[in-house]
Amino acid sequence: MLFFSMAWRNVWRNRRRSLLTVMAIGLGLAFNIFLRGVTDGWHDEMIDNSVRAEIGHIQIHRAGYHEEPSINKTLPDPPEVERAIRGLPNLLGYSFRVIGSGLASTAENSTGVEILGVDPAQERTVTTVQRVIVSGQYLSSGVGRPVLIGELLARRLKASLGDKLVLVVQAADGSMGAQLFRVTGIFRSGSPELDGGIVYILRSDAQDLFWLGDRVTEAVVLLRSAREVPGAVTALQRNLRRDDAEILPWWIVEPFIKQLIQLDDAFFYVIALIFFVVISIGILNTLMMSIFERTREFGVMMALGTKPGQIVRLVLEEAFGLGLVGLGVGCALGSAATLFFAKEGINLASVKAGAAVTGITSSVVYTELTQVNLIYSSIAVLVVVLVVALYPAARASRLKPIHAIRYV
Amino acid sequence: MTVKTPDWQRTLQMRYWALNPNKTFIRVTAPAKEAGTGTLRLGTNMWNYLPSVEQTIKIPPSLMLESWMGSDFTNDDLVRESSIVTDYSHRIDGETMEGGDPCYRIVSTAKPNAPVVWDRIILYVRQSDAIPRREEYLDSKGKVQKVLTLGDIRETSGRLYPMRWKMISVNKQGHETVLQFTKLALDRPIPNSVFTQENLRRPF
Amino acid sequence: MDVHALNNVTLALERGSFAAITGPSGSGKTTLLNLLGGLDRPDAGRIQIAGVEVTTTPADKLADFRLRHVGFVFQAFNLLPVLNVVENLEFTPALQGVSKVERRRRAQDLLKAVGLEEIGSKRPNELSGGQQQRVSVLRAIITEPELVLADEPTANLDSANASLLLDMMERLNREKGLTFIFSTHDPQVMERALRVVRLRDGAVIADDTQTHPAISVRA
Repeated sequence: MLFFSMAWRNVWRNRRRSLLTVMAIGLGLAFNIFLRGVTDGWHDEMIDNSVRAEIGHIQIHRAGYHEEPSINKTLPDPPEVERAIRGLPNLLGYSFRVIGSGLASTAENSTGVEILGVDPAQERTVTTVQRVIVSGQYLSSGVGRPVLIGELLARRLKASLGDKLVLVVQAADGSMGAQLFRVTGIFRSGSPELDGGIVYILRSDAQDLFWLGDRVTEAVVLLRSAREVPGAVTALQRNLRRDDAEILPWWIVEPFIKQLIQLDDAFFYVIALIFFVVISIGILNTLMMSIFERTREFGVMMALGTKPGQIVRLVLEEAFGLGLVGLGVGCALGSAATLFFAKEGINLASVKAGAAVTGITSSVVYTELTQVNLIYSSIAVLVVVLVVALYPAARASRLKPIHAIRYV
Repeated sequence: MTVKTPDWQRTLQMRYWALNPNKTFIRVTAPAKEAGTGTLRLGTNMWNYLPSVEQTIKIPPSLMLESWMGSDFTNDDLVRESSIVTDYSHRIDGETMEGGDPCYRIVSTAKPNAPVVWDRIILYVRQSDAIPRREEYLDSKGKVQKVLTLGDIRETSGRLYPMRWKMISVNKQGHETVLQFTKLALDRPIPNSVFTQENLRRPF
Repeated sequence: MDVHALNNVTLALERGSFAAITGPSGSGKTTLLNLLGGLDRPDAGRIQIAGVEVTTTPADKLADFRLRHVGFVFQAFNLLPVLNVVENLEFTPALQGVSKVERRRRAQDLLKAVGLEEIGSKRPNELSGGQQQRVSVLRAIITEPELVLADEPTANLDSANASLLLDMMERLNREKGLTFIFSTHDPQVMERALRVVRLRDGAVIADDTQTHPAISVRA
């Protein structure tokens, strides 16, 4: 215990130098924590955008659908699937969809599209297409056969509100299905894929068009947050327990996002590494200077009977003390900055175009502070500090008392 | 035309007019659900008429490789036929037996920059009368993607003609399409008015 | 050319000695002291202290030996600057594993015994040179070592403080029977020593036992 208080007092012997080192550690750590907070927030936004635009957190289909989609691969036992879904904690919404592809045609033009047949009340608990409608309205039953199309598609087909649109498909029985729809809404999501390639129709109309009876293709689930997904997937697998259904988390449905996230993370780790190298140099310098200054003292201590191992312990404890204070400063600053922007958000208007590629369509990103972030950063700082201190500690412990005492 | 897949099987009846080199008109007459559907092809343009919605739809180039009416024939197959002579270079590559008939094996390779789907087509034609018994369609990697077998060779309009065409897609297990001609009249004049949009819109 | 700090020195000192080792610079005083304290090893020869063969004690046990059997007083910078006087005194007992209560008691008792109890909470840099040296002596003896080695302890002190220091050391020698060995130039010290060993060029040239009628010698 005497040693620890010695170590602590030693840290503050040269107040200015120690404060500088502590500030270096603290600021570097704060920056790292904040940067992680920005990337975490950004990633969450990316995931959320994609999830709420179309794919949801989890998709359930007949086994083999994702590999090779076909209108004939319909969801097995939808009532049981619904029961399993409703048993999930943290459930925000779910929707049963018919998914197929076909030809959309107006008098002017025709083009291939993906057709999503949904029940509007259910679908709006999962996706946000209804929020980005620029003209007309979201699908409503009782108005003939409504179709909601994206802005790019409307332009390509030269279709406007009220126009007739024919959807021609290959139905589940192989026959050619064709039906007339009326454009009742146009949306702009910001994603070219959605705006140019997807049409929404009523699920009942889709079942008619594709000759499906009351079958559906997919169940899509939205949870409170992306973090719940792994747990929910396991729960569903346990509750459904059938091998003719596949339960897919969002990163399998849309691996692109996860890959982008991993790329980002790689960059982040490089930056963190650079930071650690820099603080290592700083700490090493501080500790080496401190040891040189105390050579005499170490000599006296060893003459009095202090063992080399105890000297090592002393130096390591000093380094640990430095690290701990720097850590405190860094965590406090970093957390403060991250929490501030978690509330206020960072304005992204200037990089909006670039962000759209990654699927982010809003212009404000909120940072996010996670326990994992803080804990890992803290542990890393302490480990680095201790490892760096090993060299000075070893040097100090190897001093020969008789020489050290003479060192003036 | 009978189409078989692992999930369903259907038979359509239709009437077919063709005027060389590039005019085709098809009218589906049965079953009732699709009766009245028409396909018109002029050159490289193709339209479908759907009586259920009373609309004529132009097939965009992006969908030319989609199957026609759910069969193993694509829209492009209906367009392509006549260009084999001009867009490919041919050589005889041996003799084989096909369906009991001695045949020449002809390898047709696409000319550079030819606007065609298949890199190579291998034809097996009867040595006696040059009627093809089998055609294989190969992609740019040299893999066979589709195989057409022609049989039921009968005399009609004073000529021998294969009345049964069977197309299979190699990659799709359990899929096959069989075209069986019940009545065939060749070399008869057809009025140009058949190959028009107006005719397309007149279902019966 | 080989340089020998000490050459062929044979010395026997009894328990309770109050001896000074003197000689010009370079005569080997410090080396002798270092050897006696187990801080250095001779290239040849034997050293035995309080029954322990120091020369054959392995290096990692020497620190322990010093801790338990030897006290050191250096010329200057004896005390650890981050610790106050009491804590400095507690240092070696703490290394020995003595309990906090016990070592605190010992330190305070010692300070009281020499009248220094008011400086207990001061740091070394708040003490005068004389006070520092006296505390150093206390620090050297708090573990009651068999041997106390002092390397020119009065070198940085004026004669008044030197006298005070010597008074203290004499008293401890008399009352507790601790053996003191100094290396010194200081005639004051040599005068008060009961035995003076002179060195020159690494060899003993004189070894005189002095008698002081006023002081009885403990053998």
